Parts: sequence; C-alpha cells; structure tokens
Amino acid sequence: MKKAQTMDKKVKDIIKKYYGDKTAMIAILQDVQEEFRYLPKETLSFISKKMDVPLTRIYEIATFYNAFSLKPRGKHTIEVCLGTACHVQGASRLIDRLERDLSISSGDTTKDKMFTLEEVRCLGCCSLAPVIRISGNVHPYLTQDELPKILRNYK
Amino acid sequence: MEMVNITINGQKISAPAGITILKAAQQAGIDIPTLCNHPALSPTGACRVCVVEVEGQRTLITACTFPITDGLVIQTESPQVVKARKFILDMLFSERNHFCMYCQMSGDCELQNLGYRYGIDHWVFPTYTKGFPVDATRKYFLMEHNRCVLCGRCERACGTLVANHTLGLRNRGAKSMIHADANLTFGDSSCVSCGTCLQVCPTGALCDKRSAFMGRDEQTQHVKTTCSHCSVGCAMEIVTRGGNVMKILGDWDGAVNGGVLCQHGRFDPLYDERTRITSPLIRQKGKLVPANWDEALQVVAKRLGKADAKSIGVLASSNVTNEALYLLDKLFSKEMKVANVGLLNRAAPRLFEKPQGSLADIEKSDVILVVGADPVKDQPVASFLVKRTVDRGGRLIVVDGEDNGLAPFAYMHLPMADTGKAVEIAGRANNPVILYGTGAPEKTVNALKKLQGKAAFVALEQGTNTRAAVAFGFANGFKPSAVKTLFLLLGEQDGIGVEALEGIGKGAFIVVQASFASPLTEQADVVLPMAIWSERSGSLTNTEGRVQKVSKAVEPEGEAKADWEIISLLAEKMDKKLGASLEELSARATQNIK
Ligand code: SF4
Ligand code: SF4
Ligand code: FES
Ligand code: FES
Repeated sequence: MKKAQTMDKKVKDIIKKYYGDKTAMIAILQDVQEEFRYLPKETLSFISKKMDVPLTRIYEIATFYNAFSLKPRGKHTIEVCLGTACHVQGASRLIDRLERDLSISSGDTTKDKMFTLEEVRCLGCCSLAPVIRISGNVHPYLTQDELPKILRNYK
Repeated sequence: MEMVNITINGQKISAPAGITILKAAQQAGIDIPTLCNHPALSPTGACRVCVVEVEGQRTLITACTFPITDGLVIQTESPQVVKARKFILDMLFSERNHFCMYCQMSGDCELQNLGYRYGIDHWVFPTYTKGFPVDATRKYFLMEHNRCVLCGRCERACGTLVANHTLGLRNRGAKSMIHADANLTFGDSSCVSCGTCLQVCPTGALCDKRSAFMGRDEQTQHVKTTCSHCSVGCAMEIVTRGGNVMKILGDWDGAVNGGVLCQHGRFDPLYDERTRITSPLIRQKGKLVPANWDEALQVVAKRLGKADAKSIGVLASSNVTNEALYLLDKLFSKEMKVANVGLLNRAAPRLFEKPQGSLADIEKSDVILVVGADPVKDQPVASFLVKRTVDRGGRLIVVDGEDNGLAPFAYMHLPMADTGKAVEIAGRANNPVILYGTGAPEKTVNALKKLQGKAAFVALEQGTNTRAAVAFGFANGFKPSAVKTLFLLLGEQDGIGVEALEGIGKGAFIVVQASFASPLTEQADVVLPMAIWSERSGSLTNTEGRVQKVSKAVEPEGEAKADWEIISLLAEKMDKKLGASLEELSARATQNIK
C-alpha cells in the first residue's frame, strides 16, 4: 500500500512538472524510467488515467524506444559497445565474459538487481576502443581479465 | 470548392484541390491498389502499396496520403511503380507466414489479390521458420499474427471509429506486433467485442470464428437491413449462403452508425441458443399441442370476438416492426376499442412534442450531458459516438448513478440532485447536446427543459422500436387486474419471464406471439410462432424518429411468420379489413409515427 502510494506520488510529481502535457509523454516516461530505473506497469496505467492517454498508446511509445524498459533493471547498467571500432578490438569477448560472470544474457538483469547488461552501437569514443560504460562511467581499453575487478567496485 | 487540373496516366482530370491522389484517381475510375488504406479510416501511408510516380518528385509517392495540387502529372502503373510494388509485396509476403491454402480469407484477401495482380508466384526473401502466436481468447474472433501485415487498420478502427483504444502497434521494425492495452490477451483486454477491427482487416489475421471457411464472398448474398437490438438503428448487412446466416457486417453507408456495430448487433444474434417455436400451438387438455395457422387463428379470433373490450389487454415488446405496431393499434385499439394496452419496457420521458436533435449532433457538440441513460449498456454505438467526441475534446458530463458505463470518460460525474449544475455548464457551451433516458426523474426533466432552443436533445430509448410504440400509444401503463384475455406480442425479446403476467387472473386466456420457447410461452393458451430479425421485412423507428427498413434475408424457420403478417391474418379471421401490402402498411405506419 505504502509503496504504491509513494510510487503514485512520484509519478504525479513528474506529470506535474510537465503540466500534464500529453505531447511531453516521452519526457515524462524518461523521468519515470530514471526514477524507477524501468517503467513499472502500474505507473503506465497511472499515467494513462491521469493524463487521459490510452494505455495502449503509452505502451506503443514505451516499446518503440530502446531507452525504455518494461522490465526491472539493475542498479547499474553495463553498456558494452559493439560498434565497429570496439567490435574490431574484440568487444564480443567482453560481452561473452560478462554474460558468463553475471550468469545472464545480454538485455537481462542479475538476480540481485545489481547489473543490467546491454549492447550498444558506438558510444562515440572509438579511440578508446574497446569500451564499456557502467552507470555512465566509461572504462577504456579493456581486456576481459580486468572486468571482475571493475565490477567489484560497483557492488 | 477549388478545382485543380491534374493528369493521371495521360488522362486529364479535374478534381477538388487537396483531396488525395488516390481519391482523385478513384473519382476518375482509375484503380490504384491499396492495402493499409480504408475509406472509413484516415490514411497513414503504412504499407506503400499505393506508390505512384509524380513528375518532379524525388521519390515515389503514396497516393493515399498525397494531396493534389494544380498541374500534377502522375503515373500509376509505370515500370518503376510496378517494380516498387512488387518489391513491397515480396517483403510483405516474407514478413509473416502467409500460407493462403490454410487461410479462411483465401479468395477474399486483399493481400492475396495484390499478389495475383502483380504476379507474386514465389518467395523472393526467406520467410519465417518459426510461427507467430495466435490469440483465440476472444469469444467471437481470433487474431492470427502470422497473417498480419501491420497495416494498422484494426488499430485505427478501434481508436478512431469505436474510440475504444484497445489496439496498438508495439515495438518497431521486424518486432512490430498488434497488441491490446499493455500487451494483454485480447480476451482480458478492454475490448468490447464490437468487431469493427475484424471487419476492416484486409487479410486473414482477424478471423471470425463462426463464418470462417464457410464460403467466399462471391458465394454469398448480402442483404441490407437495420439492426433490431437497440434503438440506435445501425445499418448492417446480413451475409447468407444457402439460406443460412453466416455473419453480419456493418454498412459503411449507414446513416446513424457509419459502418460501426456493437457486439449485440454483430455477434450475439448468431449465437442465440434459445429454442425456436416452429408451429402454432394450442392448449388442449392442459398441454400445448401443434396446430396449423388456420386453427390457431380461429381459436384466437373466436375468443377475442366474444370478449368484452374492457376485459382484453394487449402487451407489446418494442422489438417488433412499425407495421406490426400499426396493425396492433389498429386492430385492438381502433377497431375493437381496447384501451388497456402496454409496453414491456419503459419509455424515456417525453420532453417536447417535436424532435429537438439527432444522434449526429453528438459529434458536433462541445458539451455532452448524459442524464439517466447508460448507452454503454443499452445503446453501445451511441456510446461510441460520445467517446469519439470526448477524444476530440468534447466535455462529457454524466448525471447518473456511480455505475454508469460512461463515467470513466466523464469530465464530471454528478448525482441526479445536481442536475442544475450540469444544466448551468451546458448552458454556457456553444453546442451542447443532451442525451437522456428512462433514469431521469420528472424534476430532472423539467430542469433540462431550460436548455430548449440552446441544446440538441436526444432521448436514448430502451428497447428497439420504443419510439414507434409510444407513437402508437402503447406506453400508457397497463393494468393487469382487469384482463381476462391477453394478447402478448413478445416477439424475440429476451429476458421477459412469467413476471410479465403478474396480476393477471388465473383463468385468463393468454395468446403469445413469440419466436422462442420460454417459461412465458408455457403459460399460453395459444402460441403464434414469429419470424426473427433475419426472416422478416418491414421497418423500424430509431430513437431519433428515423424510420429505416429491415429486410428479410432468409426464410422463417418452420411455420413462423413476420410479426405484422400474423396480426394481419388475425384481423382477417375476425373479418376486419386491415389487409394491405407491406408497402402500404409501411407508408401508413410511418405516417402515424411522424
Ligand atoms: S490484424 Fe489485420 S488490420 Fe490489423 S494490422 Fe494486421 S493485417 Fe492490418
Ligand atoms: S472488437 Fe471493437 S473494441 Fe475490440 S479491439 Fe476490435 S475495434 Fe476495438
Ligand atoms: S565503436 Fe565503440 S565507441 Fe565507437
Ligand atoms: S495504401 Fe497507401 S500506403 Fe498503404
């Protein structure tokens, strides 16, 4: 009950920030995603009711953009770059290793909700290839042996 | 309207500026193929099948979305266009698993027709090796994702025509899928089973469970008629094959509904499991036994002939034709001077002598007042019109109980006691419309009258032909106590049990004209079998007072006869000269209703 209330309250504040403007739906969803690290189903229904936008339409938006996730996400998002430069530098080994160490496949979240593993195309810093980004921090020139130590720092 | 001159395939055409290339071509009789486009829906340009070459344009243009301007030179079947269309069709056929020989739409599928037209005889691109899901959780029709071309017609129909917004198109690219709400199964979703999406789907993706594999369209007959479930009077087509009703379609030319139907109009009549009465029945030694028409009518005529007019009662269902009501009134009230007549359902309070609005006013309004009526339950297509208007920014004020079906869409929900407040708000609107029903008490009705001249008023009547029944004086209140002989025109009405006979003395003689066997017909002394909606011609009056034709599509079951025909035969037996052709009856009935 309590949890639901605070969730509603947070979403309500976000909607208010955008004056309930329907055209700001993407921005609102982005803020909700930032708040909860994903888009909980209840928040979508709540937004639908509060803003008079059909749930099906919100769902369309939420599934159209990769930036949105409908599944709970970890505290940290690990983005492994598989762009051309990183790929050439063996980035696929990084993702293999991470999948093995975290026991998840790319796109999923670890059981303890610490990490979500994702592939991205070019982080825009090819000179540092191969790179991964964890919660916004770029880790350059990686080899897979360095990964366990880096992950430990985030726990 | 400004006209512009364009050239299509060398042919000079003059057409209104701003209409699409597709429309201009259609007006000139030039056929441009389409797939995602549908005349009842706004174009989106999703499928690209309609591409044409327009001089001066960098790329091919979708004819269904491109507005014409003066001097356009267009080619609709040039080699470049045909090449592009083939490429698009090759991709469409590879996008899902289209195996026409297993599909119920084969022969009537718009995608298949395009395939034939452009000679698509093999797969150029590999198809899927895994199947897409099938969702069969809805009662009446299923969603076969393998055959979906993602044209979005269903989604647009659900959103813009029904204003139900159940369907959506999720994800993007190759992962795109039609879904309901936030990806629920269709059966669990907010779907109201109106079947509008089913009717607009160009392929076999949305599949009617009942009529699937029962024949191609060219093997069927279409009969235009009017739905007799409620008082909205939606135009529809009965599709038959070999004397059987296969399915019901909304008639896109329908004056009131514009093609949309609801579950009660489209599906329910085909799933009626009640037992038909197929021959006249007469009670003999306590049991109802089959008789022929002559005998049955003779018994009734004799009884009525002997009876004192004061001891005769007439009760009518509103689900009967104008012609039947006209004859019933003529025979009993006018000829036999029977005064004790009644209707099986309540009628909305009469606000004004003359009609003060029509259902079409709903979509023109900025404030809608719904008072003591629940169209979601009783007149679903009217509720679609209301929801459509709300989508466009119209304000809905519901003055009714908590459980009113429109409450979730209302901007304000007030109890009856606050009618004054609602009237005040509506008074400030530019084009208010008032929809009121049997739930509005007299005080409320009087408050509403203040808006006369300002607002459009439409009564949302319960039942079907209530408006005509009122015009013929059947809603005057019926007193059962004096009745010794009852003529009950029950018709095909459902949900009326023996309680209809409450207060009528034990020994009363009861004649029931009905289509289905029920505990009520069990009580009768004579049962006259009546034809149902698909088996009779005549006319109905809708809640606005619009008289619309109903047409027979199949023969009546057994010896059943049309509602008006039975009364006409009875009159003849009683030597009353009421007999006339259907046309004459219709004309006379209509005159009385106006
Ligand atoms: S289900 Fe039919 S109408 Fe809907 S997108 Fe697929 S093909 Fe088009
Ligand atoms: S049946 Fe009607 S309400 Fe249901 S999804 Fe189709 S159009 Fe929408
Ligand atoms: S390819 Fe990895 S940063 Fe550009
Ligand atoms: S019919 Fe024009 S894009 Fe589909």
